[in-house]
Amino acid sequence: MRYDVTTAPIDVRELEAAVVHPGAGAVCTFSGIVRDNSRGQTVTHLDYEAYAEMAVPQMRKIGQEIRDRWPEARVAMAHRTGHLEIGEVSVVVAVSCPHRAEAFEACRWGIDRLKESVPIWKKEHAADGTFWIEGEDAKPVGR
Amino acid sequence: MAVAIAVRVRFFARLRELAGVETETLQIAPNSSLADAYDALRARHSSLPARDGVRGAVNQEFAGWSERVSEGDELAFIPPVSGGRR
Repeated sequence: MRYDVTTAPIDVRELEAAVVHPGAGAVCTFSGIVRDNSRGQTVTHLDYEAYAEMAVPQMRKIGQEIRDRWPEARVAMAHRTGHLEIGEVSVVVAVSCPHRAEAFEACRWGIDRLKESVPIWKKEHAADGTFWIEGEDAKPVGR
Repeated sequence: MAVAIAVRVRFFARLRELAGVETETLQIAPNSSLADAYDALRARHSSLPARDGVRGAVNQEFAGWSERVSEGDELAFIPPVSGGRR
């Protein structure tokens, strides 16, 4: 189990290696990538901000929830903070399980929970301005 | 009985920008709730939004608005997290 909030680039292979073991026949990895468009606008870059002292324990809690549902799962999660360029990896959830069905399910469940309960925020720098992205809402900076 | 307790307050993301501060110390009456603390902060920083749409945390755990706060607690006020379309 490994949970990181980091300003350094995320090494996806390293997280996969952290969950691999001889009894795991499947590793499923979700990587979130900075996209060049949002809301129909060109995006130039993102800034992520975290409440790191809370984000890491929240990730650990999600890892435990995964293990409650899929007891054989091993989990690693990382989220990047700071300035990210288009194409960079912002978030990774890697899960190993004995078989692929539960690996896919547990990984999907993990990234969905992370997106709703880990205190990390995205500021989007786009052609039409700079916005905080809060769930479905894009709120212009300063308002 | 103390006349006031001191708590540490942290703001994040859009709330940090609206408050104009990252952290501050707040003195409030003993037995105050998280809502009382936020209302006191809104009186000080008028650009902070109303409570709906804001989540509170006490000592790095999400907490309901009625939760009581204690001397030395770390309160955080948090906008909705980035979410993202599935």
